[in-house]
Amino acid sequence: MGRESKLSRFIVSFRNVGVLTILVILVLMFAIFTPGNTFIGRANIKIMLALGSEFMIIALGVGLLMIAGEFDLSIGSVLAFCALIFTWTIELGINPFYGTLITLVCGSLVGMLHGFITVKGKIVSFVTTLGGMMFWRGLTLILSKGTMRPAQTKEFTAFQALTTGKLGGYFPAQGIWFLIVAIVLWAVLHKRRFGNWIFSTGDNKMAARSMCINTDLVKIVCFMIVSCLCAFAAVIQTTRLAAFSSRVGTGWELRAIAAAVVGGTSLRGGRGSMVGIFLGALIIMIIENALVIARLPYEWTYMAFGFVIMFSVLLDLVIEKQVQRA
Amino acid sequence: MQGSKSKLTYSEGLTTPITFIAAVLIFAIFTPNHIFINPRNLGSIAKLTPDLGIVALGIGILMICGEFDLSIASVLPFCAYIFTLFVKNGMNPFVGYLILLPIGAAFGLFNGVLVVSTGLPSFIITLSTMMFWRGLLYGVSHMMPISILRYVPSESFFARMLIGQVGPIPVQVIWFIGFALLLGLILHRHKLGNWIFATGSNPQAARAMGINTAMVKIVCYMIIGVLCAFVSVMQSVRLGSFAATQGIGFELKAIAAVVVGGASLRGGVGRMLSIFLGVFIIQIVENGLILMQVPVFGVETFIGIAVVVFVILNNFLYRQASR
Amino acid sequence: MSSTDTSSNPLLRMEGIHKWFGKVHALEGVDFQVDKAEAVGLVGDNGAGKSTLIKVVSGYHRASKGKIFFENKEVKINSPKDARALGVETVYQEQALALHLSISRNIFMGREPSKTLGFLAKKVMDEESMDALSSIGLKLRSPDIPVATLSGGERQGVAIARALHFEAKLVILDEPTMALSVKEVQEVLDFVRELKNKGIAVIFITHNLHHVYTVSDRIFVLVHGKKLTDISTKDTTVDELSKIIVRGTMGEKTLKEEGIE
Repeated sequence: MGRESKLSRFIVSFRNVGVLTILVILVLMFAIFTPGNTFIGRANIKIMLALGSEFMIIALGVGLLMIAGEFDLSIGSVLAFCALIFTWTIELGINPFYGTLITLVCGSLVGMLHGFITVKGKIVSFVTTLGGMMFWRGLTLILSKGTMRPAQTKEFTAFQALTTGKLGGYFPAQGIWFLIVAIVLWAVLHKRRFGNWIFSTGDNKMAARSMCINTDLVKIVCFMIVSCLCAFAAVIQTTRLAAFSSRVGTGWELRAIAAAVVGGTSLRGGRGSMVGIFLGALIIMIIENALVIARLPYEWTYMAFGFVIMFSVLLDLVIEKQVQRA
Repeated sequence: MQGSKSKLTYSEGLTTPITFIAAVLIFAIFTPNHIFINPRNLGSIAKLTPDLGIVALGIGILMICGEFDLSIASVLPFCAYIFTLFVKNGMNPFVGYLILLPIGAAFGLFNGVLVVSTGLPSFIITLSTMMFWRGLLYGVSHMMPISILRYVPSESFFARMLIGQVGPIPVQVIWFIGFALLLGLILHRHKLGNWIFATGSNPQAARAMGINTAMVKIVCYMIIGVLCAFVSVMQSVRLGSFAATQGIGFELKAIAAVVVGGASLRGGVGRMLSIFLGVFIIQIVENGLILMQVPVFGVETFIGIAVVVFVILNNFLYRQASR
Repeated sequence: MSSTDTSSNPLLRMEGIHKWFGKVHALEGVDFQVDKAEAVGLVGDNGAGKSTLIKVVSGYHRASKGKIFFENKEVKINSPKDARALGVETVYQEQALALHLSISRNIFMGREPSKTLGFLAKKVMDEESMDALSSIGLKLRSPDIPVATLSGGERQGVAIARALHFEAKLVILDEPTMALSVKEVQEVLDFVRELKNKGIAVIFITHNLHHVYTVSDRIFVLVHGKKLTDISTKDTTVDELSKIIVRGTMGEKTLKEEGIE
């Protein structure tokens, strides 16, 4: 039922190799062309993994949802909202471990709401989450009155180490979390029945339903995963910044979709792989990082991502046409 | 049985006027000192709405034929920038304007061809083109506003043609009504309009009946491009300058206006008059909330909810009306 | 059980039609014909090639090999426009009508009568729609009601009225009775009879032998892209037909080879 036929698997692994190649080329390019080779320097790699992981973790979820056939444009706003909730728990003196739990629960509820409205209201997810994007951001701004607030967790050394520490003094914990989430989602998507349901729902909802797959539930769960990952990223980010800022996450939705698309996820749903999304997330993160280092105007990132999406999408189309001829 | 079903289909067209009246009443009553209906306030609403409104008319037509265009937020300021370059280099503003309109159409053509040839979700395609043009514009203009008052002084005929007054009525409103009438006539009384509805409602049937759905979509995108070009100058002249932030947020507000105006996200349903009212409703809500001293962020929140609510409402009414 | 005496002056005659999709041989040398005012039921199991055959007639696909004769002249049908120009109208299953549009806008979809500058001649559209509907016996209140409010049978009626209005000489119906209630099926079959009364030829594709048997003059059975039998309804029964189809699909020898013509 799912698209895990031999041919499909071949295309996907072929595509993944392609993405890996792009990643390697980009790394080499940036390594050579940044002033003082700073790109490849230890300090920069640490920064990329520490900061970039926040985005990359969410991108994994967004890609998963896209395979199920839906989009989530609200991730940046949900990130901000969850950051506020976590900050509140800290202000209330709650142990950050419990605070994290509370935030994750809230994130899941947000995702459940998105999913519920989309499937039961029978409206296109991009509208639901577009509305969500405005709603959660607006709500966050109203509740926080738009100001920044401190969110200090220094006393909780264990918590700090787990979220922002460095393994062996070198490898950022955030990077480890990114790997963990990637592995877990990979297992769910490719090794579990539920993953097959995700592919089926995205590929042909009607067919999946006739096979008694509860497509509504599948979608709602995927929405919950995305928003829950936003909550997790919010916790990590807030701990790192030791502050809440209402502007976090702006513009992330397009980057997340770009990451998924570059990684071979089909915009129509039903096709993609966690490895691809993983690599795609790395690519997007690297591009952004390199643009900052090279001191290129930030506006260029908009252009870059717009272009990157178009290019990957067209590439996929060409591949699909070749496959149809076979 | 037939009769009662038809009554419900007529009710689809009632949600927007009812919402309009409700919004006006609510804000008339609840704003401090009823400042909402103060003529000066109404005047400012009248001056601001056509910016969004004229473009939203085009978005509405595109949504009826089943596609989206998020790139207006970038195409609009880009056109304004081009116009500014024109007049700064000594071009007669009328000539510049005339050249700008086909340039706007070219933006639309680009979007349309991409959407039609790839067959991919238009909101992703136009999201990407929006980002692309925005990045390019920011890079090229360095986000600096450029005054054009010197070239298009507010007393000049050019300026007055776009933002003057005819008695108590701002000229922009007349343009808005004019476009609404023209586009409404095309949508509801012209062959092309039937093709637009058919393409949105059942593209396969439309193609089977010989309608070139690809061309229909491209035409709709080009219409939006021209409208963006038109509004960009109108807006710049009113502001007295080009600002790279022109048009920000329009893409979402336009969709909100169209949805509140009763059009379906899936295509095939919509009324020009309702879309016209829908734009006013969005503007009124924004204006009213600000007057009620709701924090600016609250407006966005509200619009977000409004879109979702109205989409569900429209879907519900439609399903009630058909079997 | 003899195959029908086919007339020597058929409206549509297809000779030796082959169609390949890549390596798939969808139609293998099919000879098919329909007469004026005749209804032919095109039956066969899934994948038999019924849809492909009518898509060749209606211009959606081009035949890979073979000849088509319309009113005794050889024709090339390369596009739906060519087919329509000849007077062939097709009513597809899901693709016939735009549900949000009114009856008259649907009937004139793509062929809207217009005044100056392309503006719709609404009065003409409304009057002629009502005429088209009543000519097949469909009574509806107004041409402005959205098609979505009509029953399944009424919707098929509108699609058929559309074909009729544009002076079709041959109307092809693709599964017109699928998913319809008993009453609605009767309505559709009545419409088909009206078409025949007006001298229009009908090709009726279906899986439902009972439906097609009651209105057709002949039944043409396709199996795996080949003609299995072409038989007059007078000379057979629904039971026999289903046996034939099942045996044919299971790969047993064709009736000819068994000595049954």
